Amino acid sequence: MIHQFLSSLDRRIPFRRAKAHCDVPCGIYDPIVAQIAALTVVRMVDLIKDLESRGGSDAAFQNSMARYIAVKEEHAEKVKHEIRVIWGDFIKPQHVEKHPETTEVVQKIMQLGSKSRQAVDRDVAVQLVEAVNQFAEIFWDAKGLTVKRAKAPYAPALELVYPNL
Amino acid sequence: MLRILKISGDSLQPELESGDFVIIGKIPGWLSRLKKGDLVAFNQPGLGLLVKQVAEVEAGGQAFVLLGTRPESVDSRTFGAVLRERLVGKVIYRIHR
Repeated sequence: MIHQFLSSLDRRIPFRRAKAHCDVPCGIYDPIVAQIAALTVVRMVDLIKDLESRGGSDAAFQNSMARYIAVKEEHAEKVKHEIRVIWGDFIKPQHVEKHPETTEVVQKIMQLGSKSRQAVDRDVAVQLVEAVNQFAEIFWDAKGLTVKRAKAPYAPALELVYPNL
Repeated sequence: MLRILKISGDSLQPELESGDFVIIGKIPGWLSRLKKGDLVAFNQPGLGLLVKQVAEVEAGGQAFVLLGTRPESVDSRTFGAVLRERLVGKVIYRIHR
């Protein structure tokens, strides 16, 4: 009866909601998404530079250039988003205590991600890949796993950090 | 001070179900005597007002490990121990559906 009374009152003057909250999927974090997105930024820079070197201004040229730029924008932002989520949801104070460079690495990723969007600069994009690799090392150590480095099996064949499973 | 909150979500089943109401109190004495098993409401940045169960009391009562009852709950396993100053109140009465 009390619940009925409160429900009736809630319909008129809603009580504040407190969430006994579930998030799905929980516990599925993996920096590989950010790593592949960073590789994509490098790839797009390479494609933009290659197209530029061949010259042109017709519709086909502009169409390709616009698409490469759009994909570079999307994936640079994806890098930042993926790292923000892992940093915010997974990284805990004890991980930062063990790896005090964590905050600096995350800031570097955010800045390089933005710079990658602003410029067509391969060096900046490669630095972004390496910064995400550093974050991946911290992440996998937090999971209790050792890591290895191996060249990605697709262009650009840059080194990525992978967990030893 | 007492407040009534309405529960949204299932991560405290069977203790609390979505749609239940709780009365919370933030009288200083109550919060200083929080123990394992108590339900508390707290503000979590990015997630809002949550209700979870005390699993551990740390740092002489200055921080609390707060967990849901279900494995997929977003709780201290995700965001770490919760500092006392983020607590809004202790659940002192439950009104089930």
